[in-house]
Amino acid sequence: MKLSERYNRVNLIATIVIMLITGAIYYLAISLILTNQKDNSLEVEEHEIFDYVKLNHHLPQVFESKDQQITFISAEPNSVKREFFNTTYYREKDEAESGRGLISSVTVGGRYYKILIVESKVETEDLIQIIFGITIGVILLLLLVLVITNRLILGRLWQPFYGILSELKLFNVTDNREMPMSNTSIDEFNELQAEVSAMAERVKKDYKDLKTFTENASHELLTPIAVINSKLDTLIQTENFSEHQSKLLNDLYSAVSRLSRLNQSLLLLVKIENKLLNDRQHLDLQELIEELLYQLEDIFGDKEITVTSSLSEKEIEASNYLIEILLNNLIINAVRHNRTGGEIIINLTAENLTIKNTGEQIALNPENIFTRFHKASTSEGSGLGLTISKQICESLGYQLVYSYEAPYHIFTVTF
Amino acid sequence: MKILIIEDEEGLRESIEEYFTEAGNICETAASYTAALAKVELYRYDCILLDITLPGGNGIDILKTLKANNYTDGVLIISAKNSLDDRLQGLDLGADDYLVKPFHLSELKARVSAIIRRKMFNGSNVLNFNELNIDLMAKTVAVNGIPVKFTRKEFALLIYFISNKGKVISKNAIAEHLWGDGIDLANNFDFIYSHIKNIRKKIMEAGGKDYIYAAYGMGYKFADQ
Repeated sequence: MKLSERYNRVNLIATIVIMLITGAIYYLAISLILTNQKDNSLEVEEHEIFDYVKLNHHLPQVFESKDQQITFISAEPNSVKREFFNTTYYREKDEAESGRGLISSVTVGGRYYKILIVESKVETEDLIQIIFGITIGVILLLLLVLVITNRLILGRLWQPFYGILSELKLFNVTDNREMPMSNTSIDEFNELQAEVSAMAERVKKDYKDLKTFTENASHELLTPIAVINSKLDTLIQTENFSEHQSKLLNDLYSAVSRLSRLNQSLLLLVKIENKLLNDRQHLDLQELIEELLYQLEDIFGDKEITVTSSLSEKEIEASNYLIEILLNNLIINAVRHNRTGGEIIINLTAENLTIKNTGEQIALNPENIFTRFHKASTSEGSGLGLTISKQICESLGYQLVYSYEAPYHIFTVTF
Repeated sequence: MKILIIEDEEGLRESIEEYFTEAGNICETAASYTAALAKVELYRYDCILLDITLPGGNGIDILKTLKANNYTDGVLIISAKNSLDDRLQGLDLGADDYLVKPFHLSELKARVSAIIRRKMFNGSNVLNFNELNIDLMAKTVAVNGIPVKFTRKEFALLIYFISNKGKVISKNAIAEHLWGDGIDLANNFDFIYSHIKNIRKKIMEAGGKDYIYAAYGMGYKFADQ
């Protein structure tokens, strides 16, 4: 639920409840006052009767009046208790109206009379209705105005908040873009913005430090690796090795070459992330793939892998270096995780490139195959190949997705 | 051949010097920017191996000095920085090649030989080894004057061998030279053997000698023993 919606809901319910309660109190108060007034007028009438009786010693004559009916009824002495009461007022024929009455008593010439004065309350009620109607109208108008202003003001007030939110959504640690400061006169939002910007800067700085560390560490490693490599190359020039020593040297060679490749991969990742490889060339993808397949012929042969390719013409603008790495990684990956005597199917169309390979008969988890150093325990790779491929695709605006359709593992690059 | 090795890392410098020192070669070394500059200003070399990051200065400046004086020494940059900018800058300034650390000494030797060959033969580029005549431009091989057809990889491998004649080349170095980075998945390099077998067979069928020797299961050596 949106904040404004929530706020409006609470606000509206509270307003309506309070308005209803005030309305009721208002209604009661007005009707009480008006009844009181009616009672006064009844009392005035009563006094007039008393005065008349005192002066003339007989009951006044009763005239038909529009709004008032006075009746005298003889009664047992002291049987009448003086009281006001609500009643029905019959004006001509059977038209019933609400009325207010007063029962009183008077003694005229030793005879006891009960006085019944009834007045129509119709005008009073009309008045109440009008007042009540106006009140309700005002309440409704007030509510409407409240809702509209709330919506407008809240929308405007929260504008900076939504601005900050959309900035946060766009936030990317690898991005060098500064967060734009939107000016707002509201302290809370200014503070929020300042904190968010500061946090973003910290995160970026930490990330940059980490990246610089990786880069420096990898660079520093290069020289010792180069020394080991050259010493090994020198060592094998000295003749007369036993079979055992040869085996040890071979193992050393593979370990060093793996170490060096791992190092290169780390450096490459940093470079892609730093967007240091932004050169663009016109590339014929079909030709590049054909060349690569020729290059890797022996490797396919070694694993007895059948490669089927259906390549249509596709030209792209990209860094030659990156595209070669991407293709190499994906195809080598298809070989590495293949079984002896397996199959690789490469398909290139104007929209995408798919590389299918046989292998383990179980789908991989598409969530983590692209994460760093995620690899099968049997894999001899660095665990960075797919991460690099993904990064390359992202930097070129392509999509790289994995899917499994038995018996093929499929990697698709969508241009 | 006269070669200058400008490299501050002692271990690497010594290995390169040892690998390049053979009959007919003179190797000199420089470990710092000033030492390198002094040598470069005094003597001419067939090829200079130039490290970019040096104590006291930048290797690129040495390259600039060479070019400013119109010296025609071949220059091969060896750098730990595999950055495109460096590579392009180096090559733009007139370096002949660019090799990224770490590398195999045999790869370095092959690149240096190629540079020197280009300088010496002014592009005619024919490589002769006993009865073998290799035209590097036309990419053809003749044994005792008889043309022999080699595949692209066999041709590349033969040149690699001749550039490193008398040296044991590890299977790793061969594999990386022919297949690049993709090679790490193959633990056994049996498929190298099939190429070597083919080269041997083709040369011998044309009446040539067998120059390729296996070295203790570690690699191969091309030599006229």
